[in-house]
Amino acid sequence: MKRVLEGSHAVAEAVRLARIQVISAYPITPQTHIVEILSDYCASGKMNARFLRVESEHSCLAALIGAQSTGVRTFTATSSQGLALMHELLHWASGARLPIVMAEVNRALAPGWNIWTDQSDSLAQRDTGWMQFYCEDAQEVLDTMLMAYRLAEMVNLPAMVVLDAFFLSHTYEPVDVPEQEEVDRFLPAYVPEFRLDTAHPFALSPLVAPNAYMEMRREIAAAMDEALERLDSVEEKFAGIFGRRYGAVEAVCCDDADIVLVTSGTVTSTARILLEELRAKGEKIGILKIKLFRPFPVEAIRRALAGAKKIAVVDRNFSFGATGIFAQELRAALCNVPDHPPVFGFIAGLGGRDITTEVLASIVEQTKTADAPPAESIWIGLTEAAYAFGRP
Amino acid sequence: MNREQGRAEALFMPRSFTTTESNLTGSWRYMRPRFEEKTAPCSTACPAGEDIPRIEMLTTQGAFREAWETILMENPFPAVCGRVCFHPCEGSCNRRGFDSAVAIHTMERFLADSALRNGFRSDLGKLQSWKERIAVVGAGPAGLAAASFLARLGYVVHVFESLPEPGGILRWGIPAYRLPPSALQHEIARLAGLGVEIRTDCRIDPSGLEALERDYDAVFLGCGFGKDRPLGIPGEREEGVEDGLAFLSRIRGGASPRLEGVSVVVGGGNSAVDVARTVVRLGGRAVIAYRRRRQDMPAFDEELQMALEEGIELQELLAPAGIERRDGKLAVTFRRMKISGEDADGRGRIVPDGEAKLEIEADRLFTAAGAGVAEDWHRPPQEETGLIKLSHSILVAPEGRPVRAYGGDATNDVQMVVTAVASGKQAALALDVLFREGPAAIRERLAACAVGPGPSLSMEIYTGGPRKLRTRHVVLPEEINTDYFAFEPRITQPRLLVEERSRSFSEIDLKISAGLAIREAGRCFNCGICNGCDNCYLFCPDVSIARGHEGEDRRINYDYCKGCGLCVVECPRNAMTLEGKS
Repeated sequence: MKRVLEGSHAVAEAVRLARIQVISAYPITPQTHIVEILSDYCASGKMNARFLRVESEHSCLAALIGAQSTGVRTFTATSSQGLALMHELLHWASGARLPIVMAEVNRALAPGWNIWTDQSDSLAQRDTGWMQFYCEDAQEVLDTMLMAYRLAEMVNLPAMVVLDAFFLSHTYEPVDVPEQEEVDRFLPAYVPEFRLDTAHPFALSPLVAPNAYMEMRREIAAAMDEALERLDSVEEKFAGIFGRRYGAVEAVCCDDADIVLVTSGTVTSTARILLEELRAKGEKIGILKIKLFRPFPVEAIRRALAGAKKIAVVDRNFSFGATGIFAQELRAALCNVPDHPPVFGFIAGLGGRDITTEVLASIVEQTKTADAPPAESIWIGLTEAAYAFGRP
Repeated sequence: MNREQGRAEALFMPRSFTTTESNLTGSWRYMRPRFEEKTAPCSTACPAGEDIPRIEMLTTQGAFREAWETILMENPFPAVCGRVCFHPCEGSCNRRGFDSAVAIHTMERFLADSALRNGFRSDLGKLQSWKERIAVVGAGPAGLAAASFLARLGYVVHVFESLPEPGGILRWGIPAYRLPPSALQHEIARLAGLGVEIRTDCRIDPSGLEALERDYDAVFLGCGFGKDRPLGIPGEREEGVEDGLAFLSRIRGGASPRLEGVSVVVGGGNSAVDVARTVVRLGGRAVIAYRRRRQDMPAFDEELQMALEEGIELQELLAPAGIERRDGKLAVTFRRMKISGEDADGRGRIVPDGEAKLEIEADRLFTAAGAGVAEDWHRPPQEETGLIKLSHSILVAPEGRPVRAYGGDATNDVQMVVTAVASGKQAALALDVLFREGPAAIRERLAACAVGPGPSLSMEIYTGGPRKLRTRHVVLPEEINTDYFAFEPRITQPRLLVEERSRSFSEIDLKISAGLAIREAGRCFNCGICNGCDNCYLFCPDVSIARGHEGEDRRINYDYCKGCGLCVVECPRNAMTLEGKS
């Protein structure tokens, strides 16, 4: 049934439909709407789930690790500082091979205190062993949540479904909310690979000596590879029931493109408008939307960019002392491909600044006019006024 | 379990199906926690050394019989002390600095009443039987306490009382509105169950004492302060002037005179207040004349406050100077006093305020300005061969001669019921050591059963009960983990209305319900003793606190205890200790 929903509520509807049994969360803007409605669902009986109140995000994820270890499906949502506080437990969850799914609303990190969208929070957790899906709109959020559970439980790895603050979390859009029985068909009751059971006791996450630690890490790496392989079949099944699929990446008009804009999150939608405008003028522009960031879909990216002349990566994040993070990943994916196209790295929209079609047009223009990319990132739209902010 | 895409092998992940018991984490320990019960400050402040934290703990559990018996272990008179004790325990309650002291006094009364109402029988009987026979002279609180402890220790005890009923000051001196006769009777009746024989109407004189010394192996003298000290002023023998204690005794003996007009009561102790309140109940007006100020009075302030509510007038800084009989009334002259500096005891020193005088016209006057022994031989000797002076009692045990022990008011610095009990207990324990091990062992053996630093003694420790495992350390307020306690208002003692109580001798303090008692007992920190809260068990990260299925017999499994000390920190009541590993 089509409903007009906030991105946050699209997450909540997916959680309800996935029959989550334990939810724990600590409120933080802009994540609050997600858990607000879920706590309501738990209180009213609309969901048969326990909502654990906690005193911090650290405790929140610790509680879920405990809950998921008993063999139930769990959920949490957080943002920014909250995710940073979870950092230690993110490793515990993946190391313990628990398929916890989290909604992560991209928000800038402080200081300066900033509640608006920025990818630095989730990308800072790149190496924690969590899968990461970056969503473009509310429908994709709902669908990806369901697929994330399916995939996570297959490979026993946790997953983050990432959505932009406000541009997605607080924006109302028409969303097709599936029926429960359809979802049940796609996502049957959770059958845990293992669960704590007092009748058959075991110790979870004990000391592991050097003789086995490395092999366990390799298993996590293999599970990530497996997730990449299995995503297609999950999407296949999802499409069979609901008629929608997204792909680890989506290539739009890349085959003949002179310049391919590489995007993630809601910026992709803006890029689609620009693409129509420029294509109408005869400019050969393409878009490569990267949805799946971990595991990083290297092969799909190489295939999609095989015909591109130049690549312009839009990063709503920055790795201090290096460059934008998507640009780094792109360069790493392409560097061993002979004669690969040059990668231009652009930084835009940090701290929630709007990335308009004009901003993207400027990126295309700069890419077009430059012969070769500079080593450093190109920051778009910096103003004197911004520098003057707060100066005495 | 039909996993659509199930995996062939189990996940290779950090998971162990073998026991972790091979990892003896206890080998990492350099600090060592242990269960170590300590001494609660209330129990050391109690002259009878009652095990108050345990009494309150048992009350919280609804184990009223066990709680009552825990009192009886150290004090044979909970129904009496629950009513008339000055409860120094509450003055040292660690909860005072948190919100307010636990109402220990009210709880004692509640437990005694519950025992009476439910017909509880005490299991505290004779521990053994010895051949020695002991005579007790005076059936007051000291004599009866001595008899009770001596009987439990295994001696044949006979009590000799000059008056027709036993109880001493409890029976004849304290008015019924504070201590109803029924409460006392049940306490005394329990003594018979221990085999104590009380012979009333049996006055002992010096020659009688010699006879007792021939017939018995020891004589305990607890004759009390039987007489008010004379005022030493002219006119003291006029008609209408009466000894306050004699007056109270007359009333407790059944007399009920109409006391119209004004009665002046000279004195500032509990007896003075009791006399004045008795006068009011007999239809008179009473004026208490005290030579110092209200804050210097030895009377319990709460009692005085109630007396004032009942219409009694207090005149401060008046020293009696003379009494004259004039026109059928007494003209009582007082010198006005004033404060000048301080006495050694910290009270204001009083000196005459020039020549200022005050005359009060009264119908009668009662003296209640301190009491003393009724007869000289009631007083213990100061020097004598074989004299052993203890904190609350005196023994005279010369080689080869009969043993004499003194207790009660005559040997106590503070003349209170509970200190009399303490002296009887101390004398009883001392006599036991004397008979069993000889006089040289007395001090050491008594010191070994002191509650905390003493001088309060514990019968339970003396007889080797579990309480002897507690250390002498008195738990300090800062050693309580108050995170585990919430502010709770102290129970208010329900009382008769002032209109009801000033017309009758009905008991003023009313009973409290079991629900209220349990709640009040729940306020107790249970300083230094384990109440089975299980914080240690719950907090131990190494599951090293072992306990039985019922939560009993806690012990630490040192094979796995890492010595982190969490259990000790989270113990709310300092019943655990962390020590450096040797």
